[in-house]
Amino acid sequence: MVSIDFDRYGRRQRLRWWAMRFVVYGLLVAWAVVCIFPLFWTVSTSFKTAADVMKGNLVPWLDFAPNWLGWRSLGLSPDTVFNVSTVREEFMRRLWNSVIMSVAASALAVILGSLAAYGLSRFSYKFGYMRNSDISFFFLSQLIMPPVVLALPFLVLYKELALLDTYVGMIAVYTLMVLPIVIWIMRDQFATVPVELEEAALVDGLSIWGAFMRIILPLVLPGMVAAFILAMILCWNEYFFAALLTSTNTNTLPVMIASQTGSQGINWWSMAALSTAGILPLVFVGVLLEKHIIAGMTAGAVK
Amino acid sequence: MKVEIYDALMRRQASRREVLRGTASAAALLGVSSVMGGIPGMALAADDLRAQILKIPGVGKGAPTDADWQKVGELCLEPTKANVAAGEFAGVELTFMGLNNQNLHNFLFRGFLKPWEAYTGAKINWIDLAQADYNARLQQSIATGTVDFDVIEMGAPFEGDTAGRGLLDEMPDWVSKQIEADDLVDYLKAPVGTWEGKTYRVTIDGDCHTFAYRKDYFGEGSISGRAEPPKTWQEVNEVSKALIGKTDPLTGLPAYGYLDPLKGWGGFGFYFVENRATAYVKYPGDPAWLFDPENMKPLVNNPAWVQAIQDVMDLIAAKAYPSDQINADPGTTAFSQFLAGTGSMLMWWGDVGSSARTSDTSVVGDVVGFGINRGSSRVYNRKTGQWEEKYNEAPNMAYIGWGIYVTKRVSDDEKKRKAAWSAAAHLGGKDISLWTSAYPSGFQPYRQSHFNYDEWQAAGYDRAYIEEYLGSNANSYNHPNAAIEPRIPGIFQYYSVAEDELAKGFAGQYKSAQETADAIAAAWEKITDQIGRESQLKLYRASLGL
Amino acid sequence: MTTIERDLLHTVEAASISAGRHFWGQAALWLSALWLVASFVLQAAHVSGWIAFGFENWRPVLYAYVLWAVVLCATRVVLYGEAGKKALFVLPAALFVVAMVVFPLLFALWVGFSDWNLASLTGRKFNGLDNLRRMLSDPFYANALINMVLYSLAIAVEYAIAFGLALLLSQDIAARKFWRVTFLVPLMLSPVAVSWMVGKSMLETRFGPIARLARWLGWENPSFFGDPLTARLSIMIMDAWTFIPFMMIMLLAGLQALNREVLEAAEVDGATKWQRFWQVIFPLMLPVSVTAVMIRIIFKLKLADIIITVTAGGPGGATDSVTSFIYREYRDRSNVGYGTLLAIIYLVIIVFGMTMLLKVSDRILRRMTGRL
Repeated sequence: MVSIDFDRYGRRQRLRWWAMRFVVYGLLVAWAVVCIFPLFWTVSTSFKTAADVMKGNLVPWLDFAPNWLGWRSLGLSPDTVFNVSTVREEFMRRLWNSVIMSVAASALAVILGSLAAYGLSRFSYKFGYMRNSDISFFFLSQLIMPPVVLALPFLVLYKELALLDTYVGMIAVYTLMVLPIVIWIMRDQFATVPVELEEAALVDGLSIWGAFMRIILPLVLPGMVAAFILAMILCWNEYFFAALLTSTNTNTLPVMIASQTGSQGINWWSMAALSTAGILPLVFVGVLLEKHIIAGMTAGAVK
Repeated sequence: MKVEIYDALMRRQASRREVLRGTASAAALLGVSSVMGGIPGMALAADDLRAQILKIPGVGKGAPTDADWQKVGELCLEPTKANVAAGEFAGVELTFMGLNNQNLHNFLFRGFLKPWEAYTGAKINWIDLAQADYNARLQQSIATGTVDFDVIEMGAPFEGDTAGRGLLDEMPDWVSKQIEADDLVDYLKAPVGTWEGKTYRVTIDGDCHTFAYRKDYFGEGSISGRAEPPKTWQEVNEVSKALIGKTDPLTGLPAYGYLDPLKGWGGFGFYFVENRATAYVKYPGDPAWLFDPENMKPLVNNPAWVQAIQDVMDLIAAKAYPSDQINADPGTTAFSQFLAGTGSMLMWWGDVGSSARTSDTSVVGDVVGFGINRGSSRVYNRKTGQWEEKYNEAPNMAYIGWGIYVTKRVSDDEKKRKAAWSAAAHLGGKDISLWTSAYPSGFQPYRQSHFNYDEWQAAGYDRAYIEEYLGSNANSYNHPNAAIEPRIPGIFQYYSVAEDELAKGFAGQYKSAQETADAIAAAWEKITDQIGRESQLKLYRASLGL
Repeated sequence: MTTIERDLLHTVEAASISAGRHFWGQAALWLSALWLVASFVLQAAHVSGWIAFGFENWRPVLYAYVLWAVVLCATRVVLYGEAGKKALFVLPAALFVVAMVVFPLLFALWVGFSDWNLASLTGRKFNGLDNLRRMLSDPFYANALINMVLYSLAIAVEYAIAFGLALLLSQDIAARKFWRVTFLVPLMLSPVAVSWMVGKSMLETRFGPIARLARWLGWENPSFFGDPLTARLSIMIMDAWTFIPFMMIMLLAGLQALNREVLEAAEVDGATKWQRFWQVIFPLMLPVSVTAVMIRIIFKLKLADIIITVTAGGPGGATDSVTSFIYREYRDRSNVGYGTLLAIIYLVIIVFGMTMLLKVSDRILRRMTGRL
């Protein structure tokens, strides 16, 4: 907090200062509500019954008595969690798929992307007529590519390659999807590392790769974590390709959530429970590692 | 409906069946005789079982959950045990594609099949699809040759797309015996479920859209001011307009009349315009109501269809729908709106009746009434091109019911094939189906044995309610002027594109109902040409019995 | 993106490459390439029915590609020594992207100029420019394109809000980490879940809390997707909600990297807060802002999940984005030929538009920063 010299500032300034504080915190609280309320709504709805949903009851215990209905339908309520539940089995499989594919794809993208970004920031290449700037543009331009352009070609090519509905196929798609953003973050990460460091390392007898592994990687690790988390978020929430290219073995949570409708309307409590279960893992990861996201993107944003 | 009338109907139907089915009835007799030849105690045990499963979890005890499905599946395993030895399918893995509707369809199947898996040793992998994605996914599987499922939950309209292309496995005889296929209501018997004389389907559902209404909106001193619910669509529209600005007697929220789903639903949404149109367009004695059987030209832009579209547009203009109706998912109309107390009239599949009393969402269980699709005070004769001022009605057999089919993928592996059919037969069993027709399942009554009112009464329904609800289904199934959709390839593409054009029309992007209908007709022509006019025409005529 | 003319990091070539090493390197490279081509030709011939012999599917060709890629990487080092090791940094990513983008794109071109309905028994038919002609007379595709422009314009508001939030967070406030985490939450939520729980539940006209708030504020019959304008607005707001945090972090990062001395100098000069913002902070933030807005536009151009789930393009296509429009053409109508062509055209428009935008923003940026 800023210490205030009350002798220097008059009453008016003090008043103004307090008014500013009031406005600042007012805005902060208002936006925090905007950010958090939907999450609260989702979680609380998962504990409602039909009547509570229809009445739009808001506050648990005060407005309505929390009920495990939604979680029971997922087989995750206290009374069902130890019984055999076909619904829970399905959910766990989707969750597991989401975990495997988003982690693997993000990791792969970070590895490939970091290497490429490092190369581009240190050496000048010439592949045919393509120079560094062209190669950079080639990678980053993939970011522009709308998924819908590749969707059908992937569908048919994957069928021919027997890659439909396989982990390998989905991980490849997701890696492709997040690779540009990883390169974009990592390129600026490497740009902040002075070249002199490696030069010193080379003089000390390390090879290029040795210098990269031993000197540079530890320095840009926070940036890599940031890129990894961002990639993870994008993969975890991806719906378009997952809906198209998976059927049984590699269905992810968003596909499961999106297909929850049907001829009998929506059981909001089940829907909310499922959404909560799908959202929370990532929110936890994000909240725990929030520092890294910001740190990584600081370098990314400020060239 | 009165019991006497119903019984008479059933008798008439039985006799007609015997005449029609000829040799096929021999097989049926075999099935019957085996039941009759059994000791009386067995029949009694079966009755006990039926009464027992109907009490899981019990009418008015809230919606059933996973534990209930598993219990029902376990109790109904006897027919399977008669045909399959314990552990016979050990090591077999099947892929099952079906709908992923919350607590319905695949959710139930998983529960039902869990004990089956435990008994037979087979393992099932699941492909879950949203209803709106269903058609698209199936079409793509077919065309790209990626039929990656062994068992599929599918509606009869898709038989043209699948059986017609030789993708399905013919049903073995023991299956039809196990599921007592002769018990099906008449309109679900061949040719439904068959293609070129071969049977492919284990029926698990029968479909017709019936009229549901709120009794507290009608009668002496009611807010509609009418003593009786409307008989015709003309009256339905009048009531809807008259209710604008009034208050619902049950919920205290604004009152609404008829609920039209206005948004697309992967093709399924078109059935609701059909409901309005059938009475206008389905001329008694003329089976054609979607296409001209001479040249496959769409009828959808003739004056009768345009009238149906115009009716909806008038109601939109009059603001007779709940706000945001245009963006409400069709699936919510029945269950999130009607059953939750919004709106007073609805056309829906039969499962709305069982759900009114057994679903967690329902608040209208005590004030809901049923009937067949509304009629019209005039009907369009497409041959003369004139409207005729006479009463007409034509229930819409929308979708002809879900069934379980087995694909060609298993045909070469006898063990796998038997496993697939055994799973299908388990789901289509006589007793399990009683449960699915009585509880939220996504399915409605489809067997003659489902219309035994005493069983329903014993389960906790009151007699009058169940007679009205089941009666509306039976009357629709057996209606002489029923509108049955043609089982031709790509039928859902026609629906889906129609839905799209309708959505544009309802949103005011076309100038008139006629223009909307013309756009649909043009799109249908395009699809017909794309799939092949000659072959479509041939299959269409065959499906109409011409 | 600046061109580096020479390596930033200079390396010393250790030794020359022996002739034998050179030969074996070349041999391995050509052999693997030959195998790739051969397996491709073999399988192509097999699939088109010219020869009976062949693989069950195309996967062996994929393996051949992977092998060739590995050999290519390895031979860089074998053939060029230290210089080759440099290539190893970029090659894996480049080979991966080429495989995943270039082939599908070529295939898309092949599909885009054909009449291919997945439900049609006749399969694919080449139809020249028919799809293009049809596109030009399709008012709903044009409508979707216009919507994309409208949706992109909404970024201006998102940017203003994000900037405001970034400024708020860079104030002297207690529990900064808490606020930052809180503001970041929407970014992590799945658009599909958001569509359901916000778009369909919170905006439900009877019990949804937002509808109830609207009613309390005097909007008698709230309807968020009833008419085209409100429907578009609702979609924009939901999309903005999930993506504002993304811009916010970038801008916050930019703010934190600002040179303290410049700010303090401005303060000493006696500029008011307002002046300081417009004359110092905002211009200094321009480069970051341009990056943030560009990235945001790119993401905006992919907008689909929310629209597909909440409105399916309704009412009457009013909220359609190009992706959601094509998605329906594709999923509902199985019309892959036409859909693919629309997608390709969209890609062309985007590439052209983004290039122009980059050029213009670059020029403006140069002028603005030049003036400082």
